[in-house]
Amino acid sequence: MSALIERLRSEGERRYHDKHRYHVLMHEGRLTREQLQQWVLNRYYYQTRIPIKDALIVSKSEDPAFRRMWLRRVRDHDGDAEGEGGLAMWLRLADGVGLEREEVASCRSVLPGVRAACDSYVELVRGRSLVEAVASSLTEFFAPDLMSRRIAAWEQHYPWVDPEMLAYFRSRVTRARRDSEEAIDFVVRHATTPQLQDACVDALIRKAEVLWKLLDAVYAAYVKPKLAAKAKLRHDRVANKMMLLYPEKGLVLNATAADTVQLCTGERTVREIVGELTAKYNQDSAIIEREVIALLASLAERGLVQESA
Amino acid sequence: MTDEIRPYTLIAELSYRCPLRCSYCSNPLDWARHRDELDTATWLRVFREAEELGVVQLNLTGGEPLVRDDLEVLVGGARSLELYTNLITSGIPLEKERLGKLRAAGLDNVQVSVQDVSAEASDRIAGMRSFDHKLEVARWVKELGMPLTLNIVLHRGNLDRVGEMIALAERLSADRLELANTQYLGWALINRQALLPTREQLEKARAIAAAAKRRLQGRMEVLFVTPDYYAEYPKTCMDGWGRRFILISPDGLALPCHAAHTLPGLSFENVRERPLGAIWSDSAGFNAFRGEDWMREPCKSCERRALDLGGCRCQAFHLTGDARATDPACKLAPAHGLIESARTEALGTAAPLRYRAAKI
Repeated sequence: MSALIERLRSEGERRYHDKHRYHVLMHEGRLTREQLQQWVLNRYYYQTRIPIKDALIVSKSEDPAFRRMWLRRVRDHDGDAEGEGGLAMWLRLADGVGLEREEVASCRSVLPGVRAACDSYVELVRGRSLVEAVASSLTEFFAPDLMSRRIAAWEQHYPWVDPEMLAYFRSRVTRARRDSEEAIDFVVRHATTPQLQDACVDALIRKAEVLWKLLDAVYAAYVKPKLAAKAKLRHDRVANKMMLLYPEKGLVLNATAADTVQLCTGERTVREIVGELTAKYNQDSAIIEREVIALLASLAERGLVQESA
Repeated sequence: MTDEIRPYTLIAELSYRCPLRCSYCSNPLDWARHRDELDTATWLRVFREAEELGVVQLNLTGGEPLVRDDLEVLVGGARSLELYTNLITSGIPLEKERLGKLRAAGLDNVQVSVQDVSAEASDRIAGMRSFDHKLEVARWVKELGMPLTLNIVLHRGNLDRVGEMIALAERLSADRLELANTQYLGWALINRQALLPTREQLEKARAIAAAAKRRLQGRMEVLFVTPDYYAEYPKTCMDGWGRRFILISPDGLALPCHAAHTLPGLSFENVRERPLGAIWSDSAGFNAFRGEDWMREPCKSCERRALDLGGCRCQAFHLTGDARATDPACKLAPAHGLIESARTEALGTAAPLRYRAAKI
């Protein structure tokens, strides 16, 4: 059975959103105030979906002991009274970063891409079997220290956020561990056939994609990439393509990548860049957005674009 | 980048002259005999011919390139060819005003070398007071808005300070930190017993550099060049002989690497006498070790032959006397014992350093 845990771990870890550029920027203290605020605002919509998907999971079980265990998750989020629980704590965090609580709670400013990703998570849980739905909740199991890292990073880099407001993250450090141990135990006991195990791994991958797409949407709306001063674009006469040069190295770019780089002037959001490219190439904007974000990530890892301006 | 034979980088050694006297200097041992440097017009022609071959990166180096008073003109010529121009310098002699002129002429990147993390230790290696001025130059580079590469050559005397070197590079806001272990050729081979670290030292330093590389990803590139004396297989020296790099010596020899002309029986041609394109494609010297045809066993049938292309020809010659031998750094090389005994020597007491000088 440890083979299944290992498989879930490697698939989950590889896709976990702690490696997304938006999180890397957040943890390195490089998000602007607006970028951090928008993450809090948009992520709140995800938080509101959690008790709903957990209630769906409860509804799939015939076992009172399991339901008691899983109902605790719903209570963790909704609290036992008004103003308590994870959702209320998140709204206090929204206060702490300088947002209007009422606007956050209304979810009216949530990005369409974030809404679609979070809704697809609820639909995933609704459509799958109990064990698959439980497996999809396992993402936190693979990076138990993400919350601790996040608290340390916020305290260090965003001193303008009242540290009292980080209560939600603090409460998750121990709860995430307990929750995911219960869930992994359940999956290992019930995913007894190769088909069920494959389905569980697939559900976990879909869930990791939800978290990733949420950040993609926020990144696309609030990052205005700017090519770093050290990077120079030129035509390469041998390959007859554009080439991006930087100290000691060079990258040959395809036509879309070269166009993308030329649009990285620090004035356009990623979404606006995607819009221009979509018009020019007459292609599906979702595909272009994925390519552009992947290109920017690989350039950012080489220090060739700035994302925080 | 793709796999064809195509030069990407021109290394222009503008002069062998240098105010420093580092004991691992990679200049030829008889450097003082080469007095006849190429003139401005010839260098500009060579840049143009290199760009026509596909070269996109230009490293202006030496010796010390700053000793050339036509450096601004050369940088301007490179800029008009859209070459990415990197000045590789000790920072001596340089004033901020001249650096500003070089930037205005189109200089893209400045690589400053320091020898250690303190003035005392750095100046001891360099053989002159230079450390404080080098840091000043590094600060000017950033003030002028240029990317900065900090280069530090590693050896047994400074390898334990890799953590402090990384901290220094962070304080200077370097964009790239090259921690380059000494290559044991030229002056460094003479001083090998004084310079070669122990494996334990090396592993510690490597772990520190690897952690910094992860931590600083996207902000500062940390490059740790392992010495091949402690690798299992040789490095792909210069990315392969005559494959990616062209080096021009101060007096105009076109070479696959900075030590190629120390190999006996090879003829190299001078850019004063023939266009660079013809030298690159036809000269006997550039073709001598291209590809795999020159290889003997154990390289010839080795499954790694396309990966490391037999390693470093110069190291093979200077250690075994045979330029076609397998690089002794390879654990499969018949002469690997030479490397193993150097490692054993490194466990003993360090020998005193001998300084680079006009005569030895």
